[in-house]
Amino acid sequence: MKKNHFFALSLIGVAVMSGCSTMPQSTTLDSARVDYSKAQANPQVVTLAPLQLKDAGEALDRANAAQTSREDAEVVESLAYVAKQKIALTQETAQRKSAELAVSNASAERNKLQLQARTNEADQAHQQAAMAELTAEQKTAEANLARQQAAAAQASAAQDQASLAAMQAQMDELNAKKTPRGMVITLGDVLFDTNQAQLKSGGERNVQKLAEFLKRYPQRTVLIEGFTDSRGSDSSNQVLSEQRAQAVSMALIGMGVGRDRVSTKGYGEAYAVAGNDTASGRQLNRRVEIMLSDERGVIAPR
Amino acid sequence: MTRKNSRFQLPQLSRSGVVYALLVGGVMLMAGCAGTPPTEQIAVTKAAVAHASNAGTTQFAPVELQSAKDKLARAEQAMEKKDYALASRLADESLADARLAEAKSESAQAQKAAKDTQDASRVLREEINRKAQ
Repeated sequence: MKKNHFFALSLIGVAVMSGCSTMPQSTTLDSARVDYSKAQANPQVVTLAPLQLKDAGEALDRANAAQTSREDAEVVESLAYVAKQKIALTQETAQRKSAELAVSNASAERNKLQLQARTNEADQAHQQAAMAELTAEQKTAEANLARQQAAAAQASAAQDQASLAAMQAQMDELNAKKTPRGMVITLGDVLFDTNQAQLKSGGERNVQKLAEFLKRYPQRTVLIEGFTDSRGSDSSNQVLSEQRAQAVSMALIGMGVGRDRVSTKGYGEAYAVAGNDTASGRQLNRRVEIMLSDERGVIAPR
Repeated sequence: MTRKNSRFQLPQLSRSGVVYALLVGGVMLMAGCAGTPPTEQIAVTKAAVAHASNAGTTQFAPVELQSAKDKLARAEQAMEKKDYALASRLADESLADARLAEAKSESAQAQKAAKDTQDASRVLREEINRKAQ
């Protein structure tokens, strides 16, 4: 009985001791648990350092197990320390791998950028070359145009000079005189007899030359003005002067000059060019004057 | 009842058997207390600490490196004092320190490289943008 009693007491003692004594605390283990939770919550650690995380978890399990089975405090402390360092290792590993990824990404990006830069430069060079080519072409074209224009100008100048010379020659042949109103061709009295409006045959040749001139320069028109000497009445002289201008006009039209290019006017005995007191003076006054228009067909009024 | 049984069963064993059992138990107890010297573990730790002692860890993880070295030295002292359990624990801690020091150093260097590369990319991008304008 006594033995049993002692045994029971000792059992109670053990039970009391185990009940009273709390689990030995380790701050290192506590902080290792916190660190481990953080590492597990960090996706970078979970994806980039899975092996290290597993190793750290196992180290932490060993420390926890040591604490649960009440091993010596220094043993628990040591295991907790190792676990803590291994958890820190997971963070470092994840950071290293992340940085390495960044490096390889960055070099890929740099390669891309360099390629882009080279492409840009090449494009620019192309554009500049194309531009230069275009400019060169333009310049060549401009030069060609200028040459053509110069040649044309020269040609037209030569032509103008030639045609001017030709016209001058013809005008000389027609006895054209330069007056303030323009070129005037005077057909002398040899064309008409006294009191007659009929062209004499000699006069017709002169009219023929005029017709040819007008055909050659179609932009020019003519005003045919008739005059008489002072013999006879004013009214008969007026009619006679008109008839004489008309006679020349009809001759021109008959030779193929357009009607619209020929106009006539009679002035009677006005605008005498010589005295009417002598036969020779009167002869000069019996005349037809032909005004040549300028190139636009304009004739200055008398 | 079981307690009673056990108490009554023990005397049934022969005397020599009890002596043998006590001997075996004593040997086991001694082995548990003193343990075998963790020679291999110390060697592994030594190699790891030597490997971790480089310019990078000196610069980027001086605290961990120093801790690893100190603990290795203390582990070797414990070995001499035949405190093998302490030597083993210290070797474990030293190894963890050495590995962490290396990882820290590598991480710092990789991050520096990443920053340099990113800076270079940024400079290049700016240059391109300037040229493009």
